[in-house]
Amino acid sequence: MNLNFLSPIFLFGLLGIAIPILIHLMTRRQKKHIRFSAVYLLFQSQKRSVKKAAPNRLLLLLIRCLAILLLSLALAHPIFSFSGPADLLPASPSASVFILDDSYSMGMRSEDGALYDLAVSALLKTVRKIPVKSAYSIVLASSSTRLLQDWTEDPSLAEKLLKTSKPSFQTTSIGKAMTMALQLLESATQKEKQIFIFTDMDKNGWNENEFLDSELANKRYPVTLVDFSALRTGQNRAAVQQAEVSQEFLTNSRVIRVKSKVANLLPDRPINGLDVSLSINGKQKSQKTLKFAAGEEVIKEFTFPLKDNEAIQGAIEIPDDALSVDNKRFFSFQPDQKIKVLVVDGDPKTVAHQRESFYVEKALNPFTVALSNIEPTISTLEELQVRNLFDFSAVMLCNVRDLPFDYERQLEKYVQRGGALFIALGDQIDPKYYNENLGNLLPVSIASLHQVGLSDEPFRFDLKKSAHPVLKVFKGKSLEEMKSIRFNSLYSVEPRENRKYTVPLRFTNQYPAVVESDFGKGKVILYVSSVDRDWNNFPIQPTFLPWIQRWIKYSARGLESILHSELLVGEAFEWTDTLSDSLLFVESPDGKITQLAGTSYDETFLPGVYRLFRKAGKENSATGENAESRIVSKLPDNTIPAGTFTVNIDTRESVSEKITEEEVRKLLGNMQVQFSSGADSHQTADASSGFPLATPFLLLVAGMLLWEGFMIRRE
Amino acid sequence: MEEKDTFSYDPEVLARISALKLRAVNLVEGLLSGNHRSRHKGSSVEFAEYKDYSPGDEIRHIDWKVVGKTDKYHVKQFEQSTNLKCTILLDCSGSMSYVSPNQTGITKMDYARTLAASLACLLLKQFDAVGLTLFNDQVVHHIPPRSKTSHLQHILHGLSTIEPKGITRIDQVIGTLVERLQSRGMLILISDFFTREGDVHKDLKLLVSRGLEVILFHILHPDEVSLPFEGDIIFESLEDDPPISLDPQDVREEYQKAVQHQIESFRRLCLGLRVDYVFLETTTPLDQALSYYLLKRQSLTKV
Repeated sequence: MNLNFLSPIFLFGLLGIAIPILIHLMTRRQKKHIRFSAVYLLFQSQKRSVKKAAPNRLLLLLIRCLAILLLSLALAHPIFSFSGPADLLPASPSASVFILDDSYSMGMRSEDGALYDLAVSALLKTVRKIPVKSAYSIVLASSSTRLLQDWTEDPSLAEKLLKTSKPSFQTTSIGKAMTMALQLLESATQKEKQIFIFTDMDKNGWNENEFLDSELANKRYPVTLVDFSALRTGQNRAAVQQAEVSQEFLTNSRVIRVKSKVANLLPDRPINGLDVSLSINGKQKSQKTLKFAAGEEVIKEFTFPLKDNEAIQGAIEIPDDALSVDNKRFFSFQPDQKIKVLVVDGDPKTVAHQRESFYVEKALNPFTVALSNIEPTISTLEELQVRNLFDFSAVMLCNVRDLPFDYERQLEKYVQRGGALFIALGDQIDPKYYNENLGNLLPVSIASLHQVGLSDEPFRFDLKKSAHPVLKVFKGKSLEEMKSIRFNSLYSVEPRENRKYTVPLRFTNQYPAVVESDFGKGKVILYVSSVDRDWNNFPIQPTFLPWIQRWIKYSARGLESILHSELLVGEAFEWTDTLSDSLLFVESPDGKITQLAGTSYDETFLPGVYRLFRKAGKENSATGENAESRIVSKLPDNTIPAGTFTVNIDTRESVSEKITEEEVRKLLGNMQVQFSSGADSHQTADASSGFPLATPFLLLVAGMLLWEGFMIRRE
Repeated sequence: MEEKDTFSYDPEVLARISALKLRAVNLVEGLLSGNHRSRHKGSSVEFAEYKDYSPGDEIRHIDWKVVGKTDKYHVKQFEQSTNLKCTILLDCSGSMSYVSPNQTGITKMDYARTLAASLACLLLKQFDAVGLTLFNDQVVHHIPPRSKTSHLQHILHGLSTIEPKGITRIDQVIGTLVERLQSRGMLILISDFFTREGDVHKDLKLLVSRGLEVILFHILHPDEVSLPFEGDIIFESLEDDPPISLDPQDVREEYQKAVQHQIESFRRLCLGLRVDYVFLETTTPLDQALSYYLLKRQSLTKV
């Protein structure tokens, strides 16, 4: 026989019994004694009076105490059963690996706290009962699988490690955890070996690929799956799946757009009116109420004006539901970033206006003030070696014959990471070099030079109204003006095999004028004519300035993604060596400051905005590959903000689809799989394993209260 | 009886007596030292009226002058001024000792004592004989009527030695007393009438039928009329009732009704028996109450 309480915290309510006792004592003390003459008249009056004899105070006290006792017992959800929960562990010495699913889906609410807490207490309960000479170890099964506790026989260690632990913000990976568990069991000396998995059976965590290469097929360990999914209360209604921020990049508009994607996770029910709110720097900026059809994803854009150039950090939020982790998504943004452009002049001259880069420089920054947000740096080929590519958002190669040895690799790396490369051709270039060495970057090969005489009809742009982000602003009069541009020389191009590219602009003879392609995170733009007046008169046309500026801004956008990389929880933040001449610090959302070493930082276990700081100069001690990141108590002086990156959860696991027992058996191969309900092992017993006494107790409370009311009425 | 005419001179008792005397004398001074006119016509100097002669009347009372004038026999009648024998019957049961927890007004016993003393003083000044009988469920103390002025001392002493206790049994007391009382006397009954016996009116009838003139002084403390207490109270009886615990608020209405009913039934009973009934609350100034009563009485008797 067993009496368990699902919410024993309510048993503290028993202290409430003191209240009626106090009331009883206090009212008793107030009673006065009066010696009175006409007591027999009082007796008569009392008999006649509607309010009859005073209630028996002691009985009243008893009823009140009983009512409070029963109420707190009822709230504590007593379950009466004739048998205790079954033991998971065998009595003989054994080695057990406990796989604890600490993915964020375990943060789902149950009546008694998060599923994770229930799993932890179930695990601890099992560990406490571990027989002598039995060893256990604990593996955490979120996607950055880690060994929490190596083989030990001391039950208190698990308690220490897990008591205050919380679910991670990562997804489940049972496969990896199983692999680790198998390795652990190999090293165990005990004869009996088994694996326990405490999980919510989220299908997302059972990736087939992760099971394939494990040695599961040969092993025959008993596996006990403790399933907590039945204890969930409520549903995860919706999740914010995306929050992207952008500034209208081609105009200098001061409006910031935040694109949010919110999904209704209920496959069978619509949501009428879900408040999606945008908060910036901790303050709610706006809120929209959206309607969702069953299972629908809604993309909504928030726009708000920008007041200053301060970096913004914000989040898209929806109201709380059973799983709170996926109700908020963070973003950060540095508005009005200056685009630094490295203009490589392949045809430098001593006379300024004869230089290849003369018109480009003027066009990119006409007033040498920061009106355009573009800051060109002119460099000759010789100077290239001293320039650091990663200081620039875009690189323009203007009529460059060939690059220094192995510079193509650096360029590739640069574009790969989000840099922009704009290549303009001209009379200096060597098509053979381009075709051979820039083959990775250019999706087309340069075919032949086409020239027309001065008296002949020149090539002209074939201008139509275009929806391309760069070209869409050219319409009407400016379009007519561009039509009059004369191109005397240009290179034709031929596509390479299996390469993707687009041609946003062509000449009237349908030769491509501009070829655009993506490479890694960056963009490569090829302009087949020259950017000075040697081959055309475009540079002296009024449309040249916006045309070239827009191409640079458009292509350089990819670089922002480096400084504002959006990572998923657990993904490493990587940066380039270029920053290695200074000390780097990152401040995580919980305020922890880490001094970085190497080129990646993988402590991104908390969703939120991480802020980067840099300090010029490097300490001698922290040089080289051996240096390790370390936590510092506060930022040193003279640090400057170097950017931000956001870390958000992988919303894959928001949709909680439960894996079936058959599928589990299939994945676990030869293992003897046994399923157990989390409710049982948590001793919290569902209705089937015991008789819940809450309702009868509540009925008794109601009865007591009625009786009490009746007695007081009689008073 | 005789030894009760003297008393020990206990200083406390003396002080109480003198205070009582002072109060009584103060009260009586200024009041009409009224002449009690007997209703019995008899030999006196004061002519009252003529009456037709009927056989049995004394012949010497026939007014011969009237016979001469009218040829009819008329008998001259004179008012008789009698020496009244009055017994003051004072209730000294436990209920008379009620002391208000709010300390309002003087106690019922003090009030009744002063009333009795005043009446005794008043009567003795008129040379009437006054006696005092204290009772609860039986006669506790009896001082027979005397008309000597010094008799007041005995009465005052009797009054000052009262210790209220026991239950009230008016019927028993009157039953034993009625034999001792002279008919055609006066009986002043001072009590709170808190008794559970229902037939006080029978005893009153008996007294009236014996030719006694009865005056009832019904004395109550205001608390006993209005039951002004608040909160949960255990009422302990001053007599023999078991204690009762209640909130006065719950029974106040019924209680007040019951008290008023009692007063009203006494008033009606006395009206029917031609008995004077005076209801007094201890907050009523005694001199006012007494003078009002006496004036009223005079106006009733002097027709």
